[in-house]
Amino acid sequence: MHTYRRLLTNLFLLFLTACSSAEQRDPATVLSQSWAQIEARGRNQPVTLMMWLGDPFINDYMNKYVKPEVKKRYGIDLQTAAGQGTQVVQTLVAEREAGQPSQIDMAWINGETFYQLRQIDGLLGPITDKMPNAKLIDFTNPYIGTDFQQPVAGMEAPWGNVQLAIIYDGKTVPNPPRSFAELPAYVKAHPGQLTIPNEFTGMTLLKSWMIALAGNPKLFQGKFREEVYLKWSTELWKQVNAIKPYFWKQGTTFPEQLATLHQLFANGEVAFTFSDNDAEVDNKVNLGFFPKTARAYVPAPGTIRNSHYLGIVKGAQHPEAAMLVVNFLMSPEAQLKKMDPNIWGDHTVLDLSRLTAGDRSKFENLPTRRYAPKRAEIQHLAFQEPAPEYMTRLFKDFRTFVIEAK
Amino acid sequence: MRSNPVLTSILIGLFGLPLVLLALLATGQYWRFPDVLPPGYSLDALARVISAESDLGAGLLLSLGIATVVSVLSTGLGFVFSRAVARTRHPDRWVTLSYLPYALPPVLLAIVIQPFIIRLHLSGTVMGVGLGLLMITLPFCTLFFRSFWGNQASQYEQVSRTLGCTPTQALWRVLLPLARPLLVTCLFQTFLIAWFDFGLTNYLSVGKVRTLTVQVFLLVGEANSRLAAVASLLLLLPPSLLLWLNQRAIARRVI
Amino acid sequence: MNRVILSFYALLIAGLPLAGLINALGYSVGIGGPLATGFTTQYWQQLSTETSLLVSLAFSLYVAISSVGLALLIALALVLNRQRMLRRWPFPALLYVPLLFPSLVVAFYLFQLLSGSGWISRMVVALGLTQTPADFPNLIQDGAGLGIISAQVVMAFPLFTLLFDGLYTDARLDELRSLTRTLGASEGQFNRKVAAPILLRRAAPTLVLYAIAVLGAYDVPLLLGRNYPQMLSVFITARLQRFDLADLPMGYLIGFLLTVGLMIVIYRTTRWTQRHAL
Repeated sequence: MHTYRRLLTNLFLLFLTACSSAEQRDPATVLSQSWAQIEARGRNQPVTLMMWLGDPFINDYMNKYVKPEVKKRYGIDLQTAAGQGTQVVQTLVAEREAGQPSQIDMAWINGETFYQLRQIDGLLGPITDKMPNAKLIDFTNPYIGTDFQQPVAGMEAPWGNVQLAIIYDGKTVPNPPRSFAELPAYVKAHPGQLTIPNEFTGMTLLKSWMIALAGNPKLFQGKFREEVYLKWSTELWKQVNAIKPYFWKQGTTFPEQLATLHQLFANGEVAFTFSDNDAEVDNKVNLGFFPKTARAYVPAPGTIRNSHYLGIVKGAQHPEAAMLVVNFLMSPEAQLKKMDPNIWGDHTVLDLSRLTAGDRSKFENLPTRRYAPKRAEIQHLAFQEPAPEYMTRLFKDFRTFVIEAK
Repeated sequence: MRSNPVLTSILIGLFGLPLVLLALLATGQYWRFPDVLPPGYSLDALARVISAESDLGAGLLLSLGIATVVSVLSTGLGFVFSRAVARTRHPDRWVTLSYLPYALPPVLLAIVIQPFIIRLHLSGTVMGVGLGLLMITLPFCTLFFRSFWGNQASQYEQVSRTLGCTPTQALWRVLLPLARPLLVTCLFQTFLIAWFDFGLTNYLSVGKVRTLTVQVFLLVGEANSRLAAVASLLLLLPPSLLLWLNQRAIARRVI
Repeated sequence: MNRVILSFYALLIAGLPLAGLINALGYSVGIGGPLATGFTTQYWQQLSTETSLLVSLAFSLYVAISSVGLALLIALALVLNRQRMLRRWPFPALLYVPLLFPSLVVAFYLFQLLSGSGWISRMVVALGLTQTPADFPNLIQDGAGLGIISAQVVMAFPLFTLLFDGLYTDARLDELRSLTRTLGASEGQFNRKVAAPILLRRAAPTLVLYAIAVLGAYDVPLLLGRNYPQMLSVFITARLQRFDLADLPMGYLIGFLLTVGLMIVIYRTTRWTQRHAL
């Protein structure tokens, strides 16, 4: 009886205590290597990339193009794992608390995850200064070198650049509202056709709308400013609440996911949807999901444009190999492939003026996007992404002042 | 009490309709309100999913393997554990304890047990996923068999022991045949729990154990209902096949 | 022997969740988690300001109880009144079919079936009864949670029917039925006074388990429910997996309290069924 109880206690302790063994790589040593050393050390290693895998176009690009290419070039066995956002953050925290090296080598992240990963000091870096292909990127471009108003500072590598667009059905909507100023009157005149998704893309829309209301995008640059937020979010809620009864379902509810809104749009229940990627409309039409009459545009005075990035995990087991993969993903070849709307339609982060004439003309002569606006046309209609607090506050307040308001 | 054709057709409609609608969504192109049927059909969405998910075949085998091992282990152990629970002085305490994994909201369960899975060096492994799934299926089986270990089963066990059976004989000759319908149902159910698990599997394996469910489940919730319908059908077909193959066996044994 | 088996069982199923709960408690007072700054009762104090939590709790209880209640009534009616039919083709196999549908697929299907622009709405239009998606009644994303409840009922009642049918045979209710009939009781009296109570008591653990699963369901309310009132799981997941790491401790706290609360409810129910066991 006694011995068996002790046995159990021991088993339980075994369950709870850490027993660290796997090799822990020292970040400073990893980063002190030259690119040639990194190339030598990174060869023939496995790499785990954690990313969102919810789009077969993107999965196809990874599986059919990127994986074979890095295998061929470096003998790297690239594995994609499904996960994003807070899952990455929570996993890294748990691994560090357990004193274990990470199961993740690199992750696909956007601004708010970058902010969180910086908060927990989970990223390895600076990494881009060593990468040959990073020289083709203009880091002084505010849409690339700053992520949610935080300097990227080499802690993450740009992968693609997108802008929020409104998608509408040209058949039911011959004249969509061309600016945020026209939006309220339009919604009032056409009830039930529009709604705001209560998630990331919807918040990007609300941020753009708030900046448009303020009339001065500079107000939202730099650190979070309480008084600016309060003033303009109050104005925003005033406008939104004034037209709330004219939203889809009389504004009694808002879709919790963008997927739901896309389905409503595809079914013909609403006439508008939104996308963080200005070129998404093309691949949704190509697959027979959105109607052929679907079009995308950017309302005046503009919407938020931002980049998405690749970060290497501080506790990564194969940091050198991950750097080789990142460098490849920034290469003109991989970027060009990714930009084709029939493959993915994700705009390049490269500075075209730094490319060779041959490469540049390939980027410029891509089969143009059919239903999305041309990049040149929306060049002047872009806002920088404001600091992350604007998003977290808008998300909370949208619930308090709009969803739960009577 | 004759067979009721109305009720039968309602049930067949209720359960058959999803497959019809999913198939229409998967193959119908540009299908919108108010068309009752799609204006055109194409298998492009299916081709898209199959081509993008490079190792669907391996994922299928992995799913089958994990679900089989988990269901057999948990049904067997659950049978034994529920007998042990029935024989304690305070079965209520044990029953309450069995509910613990369900009382935790699923997302919280995954987050809070992950640190320990990492410490056990099971993070990112099939073993870790198996352990996580057992945590869900084992209490299910134990609770499931509770009604079996009532007076009757115990009486049968005692009678057979009095008549000279060894404990093993009593188990194989009396108890297991008696419990067979329940065992089959329990196996089938736990198989499905393990088969359809996405959250725990993906979280505990840090996305590395790519079962069929993990590979296509993401597409179900994503922004394209044609692909979602294809993915749903891919998830449904293997267990449906299992049900169809075992239909007679399962049906007979339930009675 | 029995003790060893039980301890092994406890370790296997409760070891990690208990340890995890202790962790969650630690996170809620600021001594663990990504942004831990040291012990604080801040989050516990803020709990009183979480008014939508109570709304969420009440709505979740309402959905769980009505879903399980409805499914239970359907299943009882089938088992008690249609005994013979349940044994004939295609019923035994048919009842297994809904078990094949994961909740996300059911939610997706019901969305495509019942939304304003859904399949049924289109048929109604074809019949000339309505013209636009907005004319169709709100069957999902409605204030009363009908969409969520119907999804849960469709998934639960076949399972309950199989369960009750097994228990019916197990408790030899057919014999009991003939006996009570001989003693002069009516069919209805037998069903109400004898059969239903026996079945319900025996099935209680499974029913409670199912109600808890409905309470914690995520996919169905996310797709078929409204943002407000919102079910608990959606509410908690938003705290644990959305944009703000500063929300995490509150998410852990609410999850911890919910778990403890549910465990108390479960213990009470178990004790009750134990004492009134048949």
